[in-house]
Amino acid sequence: MPKSRNILGDLERAVIEHLWAVKHTGAGVTVREVHDAVGIDRGLAYTTLMTVLDRMTKKGLVSRQRDGRAWRYTATSSREALTAETMHQTLGELAGDERSGALLHFLGSSTPEEVDELRSALAELEHRQQSAEAGSRRFSRADRSA
Amino acid sequence: MLAWPVPRGLACLTSLRRAPRASLVLWQASAVAAVLAALLAAPAAVLTLVEATSGAGARSSLTLGDVGLWPAPIAAIVTGVVAARLLFAGDRVGRRLRAARRRHRDLVDLLAVDGGDDTTGDHRLRVLEHSTPTAYCVPGMARRVVVTRGTLDSLTAVELRAVLAHERTHLTARHDLVLEFFTVMHEAVPRFVRSAQALREVTLLIEVLADRAAVRSVGVIATARAIVAMVGAPRPEGALGMSATLLASGTGLDSGSGLDSGSGLGSRADAKLRIDLLEGGRVFGLPNAVASGLMYTTSGLLVAAPVALLFAALLAASS
Repeated sequence: MPKSRNILGDLERAVIEHLWAVKHTGAGVTVREVHDAVGIDRGLAYTTLMTVLDRMTKKGLVSRQRDGRAWRYTATSSREALTAETMHQTLGELAGDERSGALLHFLGSSTPEEVDELRSALAELEHRQQSAEAGSRRFSRADRSA
Repeated sequence: MLAWPVPRGLACLTSLRRAPRASLVLWQASAVAAVLAALLAAPAAVLTLVEATSGAGARSSLTLGDVGLWPAPIAAIVTGVVAARLLFAGDRVGRRLRAARRRHRDLVDLLAVDGGDDTTGDHRLRVLEHSTPTAYCVPGMARRVVVTRGTLDSLTAVELRAVLAHERTHLTARHDLVLEFFTVMHEAVPRFVRSAQALREVTLLIEVLADRAAVRSVGVIATARAIVAMVGAPRPEGALGMSATLLASGTGLDSGSGLDSGSGLGSRADAKLRIDLLEGGRVFGLPNAVASGLMYTTSGLLVAAPVALLFAALLAASS
């Protein structure tokens, strides 16, 4: 199950990267073109790509427009915009007072003003460690001489 | 009693943070005991009822009007309400978390590049091409450790190892489940007895635990430096502004909007607290191991108490 999910995820990624790469053409690409670009190398059927693009449309990652009998697909947002949206989710988690806990962050949101205070705490810790180390070294030397 | 004064009191005993694992167990025990006490209220009351009727025998026909019988229906209601609220909150929180994680994981999979570290599979590092420094993990069945390019740029190799050790501890120790449990408890109790303190304290304890794991893997100095570096890392213009607008708009993530202004203060103090708590130390003047032992014992007693009371009622009823 996780494996098949990963394959689908990889495929979605390949598809959207292709859409980003051909964005300059403006008109969008058909399933056939996507299949030619990312499907054939992977030995995938045309219909698989059709399903993937359909899924991605439902997720809002791509949008499509009718062009005669085919759909033409374009990425809804650029890589940068999507990254910004991801970061928005990430940092949004931190902004709430009751963190929703969906993601576990290394640090809560913090502002640079406290850095000086933290640095002094760090310096104190380093000092303590050094003296502890020196102490234990002295101790082991005493051990050896005994 | 366990639901209201105890969490507040426990949150005040900041010295307990020096033994994070034991205090976390104590927190969980008091929560479990509270739930057990509420859930066992009905069976216990039924047993006392049985005892009362068999004891009273045919002497008098008992009605609900008798003072002695009032506890039974009340206990049944308490148990029913608590069970329903817990199930409801559990379902809601679980759904919400899993949906948010799935959505986020999909985006990460679409965007992140491989961090190129030596680990594979679930613990592989994913890098988002963004200059705001942040590091986090997406827990669950398909877990991810994510950092931004800004993080990689502002940390040394050993500091990065500390951050990763911290995140991987969250994942392997399933800290998300602990947090989820307390979130469910938090949302299951009525709003007026809720204490945000409890949830905040548990979150801090989990962070301290993960920090200690980082200390074990790269040392206390490197871990402390990593925390300072993450706080002090340069932030691009507008990144903080973004979270400020998020604050204002409420983000759709549940947040007591009235408390938002305090949240900054709380987390700002967190970094300092965590550096102070990187090393173990005495708890109320007791050696750490002794204090932990005491806390584990208290935890055991707390959970055992409601069960013992039920058994006492059972014995009394059967004799």
